[in-house]
Amino acid sequence: MKRLQDFTAGDTFELVREVDPYRPVYYAGASGDFNPIHIDPELGRAAGYQGVILQGMCTFSWLSDACVGYLGDPTRLVRLRGRFTKPVQVGDVIRIEGRCVAVEGGAVKLELSARNQRGEDVLKGAVAEGRVEER
Amino acid sequence: MPVDKKHLGRRYGPYRFQVSVEQIKDFVAATGGGVPGHAFSSPPDRYHHPWTWDEEAAKASPHGGIVAPPTFATTFAIEPFARACSDPELAVNVLRLVHGEQEFEFHEPVRPGDVLETAGEITRLQERGNLDFVEVTTTTRNQHGRVVVKGVWTAIVRN
Repeated sequence: MKRLQDFTAGDTFELVREVDPYRPVYYAGASGDFNPIHIDPELGRAAGYQGVILQGMCTFSWLSDACVGYLGDPTRLVRLRGRFTKPVQVGDVIRIEGRCVAVEGGAVKLELSARNQRGEDVLKGAVAEGRVEER
Repeated sequence: MPVDKKHLGRRYGPYRFQVSVEQIKDFVAATGGGVPGHAFSSPPDRYHHPWTWDEEAAKASPHGGIVAPPTFATTFAIEPFARACSDPELAVNVLRLVHGEQEFEFHEPVRPGDVLETAGEITRLQERGNLDFVEVTTTTRNQHGRVVVKGVWTAIVRN
């Protein structure tokens, strides 16, 4: 597993996820979020979208997955935040890009972006922090 | 209509949630390109840390078994937020609501068998133009009384 000295400001990492037609339903089943705008295309259209939209918290999980992949241990992620700026819809391909901006003591500070295939931000202001203890 | 400011400080919960290894694996499958469940299901086909779903790899890890991915917290910690958004007293139109912002502070790993309790409180009610912000802050504790995760959940309602 990566050690503290393996983390350096300027490191980058990325993760890509495709939104297949069933993803919002699978995520609903696994997370318990059955808001009908994620399940029923007619309701999604009534709400002003092209059809169903993916749960924002599924995209948020992808941010977390990107950070965990970089940090090397799921328990090292101690903070994650972001603003949802654009709905994610079926057929979208989301690219998460992360960058280590500072390593202060055991705190590894990260900034992230999440963009769709058109280059539009689906999340903004995404930041995370990892804590890596010396063993 | 904007949410009445008198609801600031309104509390929800605590809500109890018992964590199972199946729930964790389902969550990992759903977020990792797989299919959750026990019929026609499949494991994650996109990268997901093995300690969150592969029992053998997790057993050999420093944690000695499966740990939930951090955002598994959504499954149990969302309840006060969802209750607030559907609270008849607040009269929010769910079709006009989007999840606007999210923040988590992760304090303790979540493991299969944990018994968690999440309580929440409305911590901000704010109008900005025709948008209405409803913020709920949650705290989840485990069976040892230790804080597992804190969440700040913000809904935006288009009025």
